Amino acid sequence: MEAVRATRISKTFGEGDTEVRALVDVSLVLETGTVAALLGPSGSGKSTLIKALGLVSLPDTGRVLFQDRLVVVDGVAVADASELRRRYLGFVFQKANLVSFLSARENVQIACEIGETSTPRRRALELLDYLGVGHRADAYPETLSGGEQQRVAIARALANRPSLILADEPTAALDKGRGRAVMELFARVAHEQGAAVLVVTHDHRALDLFDVTYEMEDGRIGPPSGPRPPESGS
Amino acid sequence: MNLAARDLRRHLGRFLGTSAGLGLLFAVVIAMQGIYAGMIDDATILTRTLDADLWIVQRGTLGPFAEASRLDPTLEARAAAVPGVTRSRAYTYQIIQRGVGTSQYRLALVGLAWPEDRGDTIPLVAGRELSQPHGEIVVDASLGLAIGETIVLAGEAHRVVGLTRNALTSGGEAVAFLSVRDSQLVVNELPDEAIQTERQRTLGRLRQTDLGRAQPALEELPVDSRWSPPALPAPSISAVLVNVAPYRLDDVRRVIAGWGDVTVFSTGEQRDLLLQGVVQKAKLQIGLFTVILTLTAAVIVMMVVYNMMLEKTHDIAVLKLMGAPASRLVGLVFQQAWLLGALAYALAVGLGALLHPSFPRRVVLTAEIQWAAPIVVFVLTSLASLLGIVHAIRVDAGRVLES
Repeated sequence: MEAVRATRISKTFGEGDTEVRALVDVSLVLETGTVAALLGPSGSGKSTLIKALGLVSLPDTGRVLFQDRLVVVDGVAVADASELRRRYLGFVFQKANLVSFLSARENVQIACEIGETSTPRRRALELLDYLGVGHRADAYPETLSGGEQQRVAIARALANRPSLILADEPTAALDKGRGRAVMELFARVAHEQGAAVLVVTHDHRALDLFDVTYEMEDGRIGPPSGPRPPESGS
Repeated sequence: MNLAARDLRRHLGRFLGTSAGLGLLFAVVIAMQGIYAGMIDDATILTRTLDADLWIVQRGTLGPFAEASRLDPTLEARAAAVPGVTRSRAYTYQIIQRGVGTSQYRLALVGLAWPEDRGDTIPLVAGRELSQPHGEIVVDASLGLAIGETIVLAGEAHRVVGLTRNALTSGGEAVAFLSVRDSQLVVNELPDEAIQTERQRTLGRLRQTDLGRAQPALEELPVDSRWSPPALPAPSISAVLVNVAPYRLDDVRRVIAGWGDVTVFSTGEQRDLLLQGVVQKAKLQIGLFTVILTLTAAVIVMMVVYNMMLEKTHDIAVLKLMGAPASRLVGLVFQQAWLLGALAYALAVGLGALLHPSFPRRVVLTAEIQWAAPIVVFVLTSLASLLGIVHAIRVDAGRVLES
């Protein structure tokens, strides 16, 4: 089943001399249970694509479907963006971006509550255990290590069983070992939880973990390619 | 999960400190309202406790609480003779200041028409009403005098026989009740030298008359302390209080109003005049202070809530990105503001209960204040939250992706 289908989406910032075409006719399909990497140099449009698919900054033209449901057409969301995000999406960022005044368990629980999960507390504890940070459930974000924070963030992203998880450079702030561990988690989440995961990354050392790889340049996206062998030292 | 409570739990110290500051501000606002209500209550106790239907005062004056009102004492009998009048009493009112030891007493002397009025309508908290026309006094407990203690007025010892509570004038003076005769002695008290001089002048005039020369024994009269020198004006009274038979009030009022030397007021009118004349400026002043302090509190709450939201901008963006509905974010702002207001109000009430008895002016928290204050706090904090709500609503979820 298709978790997301984007068809010929474009996004332009500015006008005249300052016009920047951040996305140019980008099309992309991700099946559920797939973990995909999105590569490209800075300014190639990766974050703009993540924002467009995350309904944070809607594309000017093109269509976006989540699980065959049309959600964006030519710059207009067909339903409330918050409701669509609750239902279909999970986010993981470069920084964990945990809510500072909530414990690890509460950060996940609030996401469950927003998604109207029936037993949010239990679901939160299950997810933390699943991601190996159950023992840190009562810890506040500032007392968690970077890797632990990212695991909590992934747990939060999974809270409402999203069909698509968007991860924007989630390992940029982690060392090599922790970075790979997080990527392994994404692969595990995609395969075990059935979500599609799109990871923006500059880290070519863990590309062997991805089912599909896309590359972007100048706002355009290349064709998908299969798993790549890990590169060292890049 | 209540986000507001979670946030406050995480920043409890700062929240409590902010609430304490706000609580002090609320305490001042509530105290000012209480002081004003106390002034009203104090000012009107003089009209309430005397249980009169009509107040007869000097023509063209507004009564003893507004200005000097002098009536001939015979007016008491004139009023009593009016058909429909069931009771007529002389009344005097004078504020004096006397030193006792190292203390200074400011007293509002209220003269009661012995024996018709012994103070039986005065709410006593200890002791009894007057039982003799001379040398007894009922005072307010705020003076610190106990039953049986004496206070010297006009050179005579007056024994405290009864105590009232909160019998104060609008100016804060304790009210003392004594007989009209005693109050007149106090009000007309003259220095010894003035009395001696007047006696000698009277004796000199007496000796120049045939009567004085024929009756030398008359020379003993001016040196009797109970005798008033004829050159001095007769002691006047401030008002005559009249009680009227049921359904005769209008008739009696019409008759007395026709007399050329007096003006007549109902007790309600006297009360209103008392409030307008004495309390009006205080009302305006306290009202202005209250408005300024309330606006100050509103601005402080607004800035506190707004700053709390500013600090949480990133967290709000994260919550929005997670799909949190606007109602949840609005709830977060409102609940924090309400919690802040509720804690501050509770602190203000607690402080008030602790400190109001020590205030030099009586603080009366009327039923109106008690139900209005929390409502005002609720409305105030709700309105002050609007800026924070606008900020929360306008936070762009996309900023999380840029950080």
